[in-house]
Amino acid sequence: MLSLLGTLGLLSALLGSVLLTWRGWLAATGHTDRGLAPAARLVLAGAAVAMGAMQLALITDDFSLAYVANHHASTTPFPFNVATAWAALEGSIILWGLVLAGFTWMMLRRHSRSPDRLGAAALAVMGAVAVFFFALMLTVANPFEVCTEAIANGCAASSPWPFAAVQAPLEGRGPNPLLQNHLLMAIHPPMLYLGYVGMTVPFAYAIGALALGLPGVDWLRRSHRSTVVAWSFLTVGIVLGGWWAYEVLSWGGYWAWDPVENASLMPWLVATAFLHSALVQRRRGMLQAWNFVLVISVFALTILGTFLTRSGTIQSVHSFTQSAIGPVLLGFLLVVVVGSFALFSARAHLVGSTPRIDHLVSREGSFLANNLLLTLYAFVVLTGTTYPLVVEAFSGARVGVGAPFFNRLAVPLSFALLLMMGLGPVLPWRLAPPRLLWLRTRGPAVIALAAGLLTALTVTRIGWVILTVVLGVFVLACSSGVLAEQARRQPGRHEGRLRATLEVIRSDRGFWGGQLSHAGVVLVALGIAFAANLGAHAEAVMSPGDTVVFAGHTFIYESPFQRSAPGKSTSGARLTVTEDGSFRATLEPSANYFGADPTGVSTPDALHLPGGDIYVTMLRLDAAGVTLVFDTSPLIWLIWLGGGVVAGGGAIAMTGRRAGTMAPARQTADV
Amino acid sequence: MSERLRDTVYLVFMTITVVALAALVLAAPDRDDRVQELGSRIRCPVCEGEAIIDSPAPMARDMMKLIRQRVDEGASDEEILSEITSSYSGAVLLDPPAEGATLWLWLAPLLALAGGISVILWWRAHPGGTPGSAKSATPSSPRRRSRAIAGGLLVTLVLGAVVVAAGSALQDREGPGGGAADLDSVDPSLVSNETMEAVIGANQDDPSIDGMRLALAERYFRAGDYRSAFPHYLAIAQSGTAADETAHTALVRLGWMAYDGNGEVETALELLDQALDIDAGSPMALYLKGLVLWCGADRPEEAGDLFQAVLDQADLEDETRTEVSDDLAAARRGEGCA
Repeated sequence: MLSLLGTLGLLSALLGSVLLTWRGWLAATGHTDRGLAPAARLVLAGAAVAMGAMQLALITDDFSLAYVANHHASTTPFPFNVATAWAALEGSIILWGLVLAGFTWMMLRRHSRSPDRLGAAALAVMGAVAVFFFALMLTVANPFEVCTEAIANGCAASSPWPFAAVQAPLEGRGPNPLLQNHLLMAIHPPMLYLGYVGMTVPFAYAIGALALGLPGVDWLRRSHRSTVVAWSFLTVGIVLGGWWAYEVLSWGGYWAWDPVENASLMPWLVATAFLHSALVQRRRGMLQAWNFVLVISVFALTILGTFLTRSGTIQSVHSFTQSAIGPVLLGFLLVVVVGSFALFSARAHLVGSTPRIDHLVSREGSFLANNLLLTLYAFVVLTGTTYPLVVEAFSGARVGVGAPFFNRLAVPLSFALLLMMGLGPVLPWRLAPPRLLWLRTRGPAVIALAAGLLTALTVTRIGWVILTVVLGVFVLACSSGVLAEQARRQPGRHEGRLRATLEVIRSDRGFWGGQLSHAGVVLVALGIAFAANLGAHAEAVMSPGDTVVFAGHTFIYESPFQRSAPGKSTSGARLTVTEDGSFRATLEPSANYFGADPTGVSTPDALHLPGGDIYVTMLRLDAAGVTLVFDTSPLIWLIWLGGGVVAGGGAIAMTGRRAGTMAPARQTADV
Repeated sequence: MSERLRDTVYLVFMTITVVALAALVLAAPDRDDRVQELGSRIRCPVCEGEAIIDSPAPMARDMMKLIRQRVDEGASDEEILSEITSSYSGAVLLDPPAEGATLWLWLAPLLALAGGISVILWWRAHPGGTPGSAKSATPSSPRRRSRAIAGGLLVTLVLGAVVVAAGSALQDREGPGGGAADLDSVDPSLVSNETMEAVIGANQDDPSIDGMRLALAERYFRAGDYRSAFPHYLAIAQSGTAADETAHTALVRLGWMAYDGNGEVETALELLDQALDIDAGSPMALYLKGLVLWCGADRPEEAGDLFQAVLDQADLEDETRTEVSDDLAAARRGEGCA
């Protein structure tokens, strides 16, 4: 009966979405502003019931649902049984719908406090997007189909009709082995979805503003907070994905320029550009049209990302699912792109930016450079990701585009971005006289170069690492310089330097949150540079009792081992690690086997050290011995830490201005 | 300290550090990581999107071993890469060359950069000049408005065309019953002939099977088993859906087998001519046709012309060149073929 409950939830949510679109549009066009709240509540309640039904089915092992039979097993432990709800296509769209309903409900709460036409129009757009996704769940990607033909460990045929004759298998197939191997996989998708779906909010305000012919900064101010929230979650989602890959996938890397990784990076890059260019419009009224283009692109890219992830058309380690949903998502993408840009064109006369830039060497100029770099970056990723498909479509030839291509273009772009991240905050608005620029950058430049020299003398003489250190320290020093300068001018400075500094930060959290995010990006860049250039790699075939010395540690192969737990069996090699004769750790690189699935998931083990992890991956285990790969990735944890700091900066920026009091920041460092 | 002096101190310090850093970096010992670098540029043919350096698959380890061996033997990067692409096709390159089908991959970002910069400069130089700018264009200015709409539509159309193209590419790749996706990831060198026969038999109608068919037929051909190779080459030649390169190879092989196996000179020449219709400059087809004419039809003059055409090709391997020139000389002297 959970099928019926879930289907009813989806139907209510669909009904609510239709009502919301209709009522929202009536309210936006100046008719009665009623019925919005019940509609939005119905969407949220319906989505929550659907998710609840799915969770209940998973927890109670209700294999009468085809989704549960095909993606869950009674032996799947907590929390992976809960996470199975978004481990495959149909379930993950429930999560998508629920998050969308949540964002809609938060928009509604704000709208109820101060109803106006723009808010109503934005809600109507949210409703329209929700109509698409809930309709999707009731048609091509129905998570509540009942199983009508059971096979051993799964379901061969299913029906969307909840009262169809049920034939439930005794046991389910269980989730994809890769997905139940690490806790991070349970939280990475929800984070990413909060980011993806959150980007619907600025899109909804933008389309609402365009439809009503109300450009200006209102839509930007109203959607700012949601944009920052979504962007922060997207950041966390991407970093967690990299962390998961590093911990679980045996290649020991964290980013492979895989199409699906790229799918999450593209909206992040364009959303980052949007956060910056929105600031220019709020401050100086420039880039109105450009902001619409960016926000529409972000939303389109999130749909493209879903398409790439969920249609299974691009082969990659992420293509867990294949389904007929591809054409439908592609059609939606086409409607979004064509519809949005047609609307944009029809309103083009309203959105021209009045003021022009005074001088390119100014804060505005640095934002322009930043937008050019970020959108170019996204363009490079988009080209590299879709090029093989396009070439194959037109000529039938197969070309491979991979990490070396992306690195060749992304590395210089990243260095240029780092440089701009340092220069931007020290440049005043309108015009930066050369003398002022010199005065503000000479100190940071000296500190940065000194840090580079220190690195070269003590750590490494690899050019890429040193360049990263120099630029990274330059960014940190420039921001700190601005902070120190403002703290000195703070009226209450006699109460102490620290207090004055805190006061400066508190007075403009948007700006200083952004600077913290910049610092996080610097940490990520350092982590990438060190891990990529200073790592070591060795391979060894060992018999019990053999030892190898790697990265200052001695590894002794004790014995192979076998272990089994419900639904999972493990075979691996037990190693003792010593350093200078004293015991450090026991490592167990292994392969995990889930249920009846014959494919083992290689599970490396790591010795976590402050300077960087030593990774041991088992390649083969047989009578002749064990083949092991040893890797070090020095300071790789800086990437995860940096990612957290970037998102933390977003959180601080978000608390900056309360809703409704979004006057332009007067305190921004434009001295 | 005066401002001027202070500036000088900063500048001097910066210059010294930059020079010192440059010296340290340039004097650093070369990292001997050609093996790793090459390994990261080649996709593991049996995995999904992984470079061979990152992959634990046996095939990737073997390819790494080969690279290490060739580097030790002193082969250049180009030599190693071309050896690998000739055995595994160009699709294994993760950074494809800036030529042919992949030229636009490298050009597009450069053009985008140029475009972006020119748009910024143009925008700055033309206050109110953009279509849709509110400064000089009032909403009621119909000309500007229609121009703006036309521009927007154009952008939309282009975007739409790109999306549609991408979409149809994706549709094509799905293949019947998802079988195609599985086929791509099968590495022929690890699979027995019997398995390949079974897979091919089960996917007769799937055009994407041609690659595997060719691989299997080549296996038989190299082993001298013309009888087993023949039906596969024939199927490719008759399929009509095979890529030109594949069909060409099949026709060349069929032609040679007709002559070498059955002594059918006329059939052989006909098949080789068909192959030359696809690729008129193919050294292999030209050479084999020459051999058939010379040895089978006793027409050494025509054979000589064909050998000459082979030698006119710029990118011949030295060994082939020597062999063909020897044959050419013999044919020109009117000797019988050896």
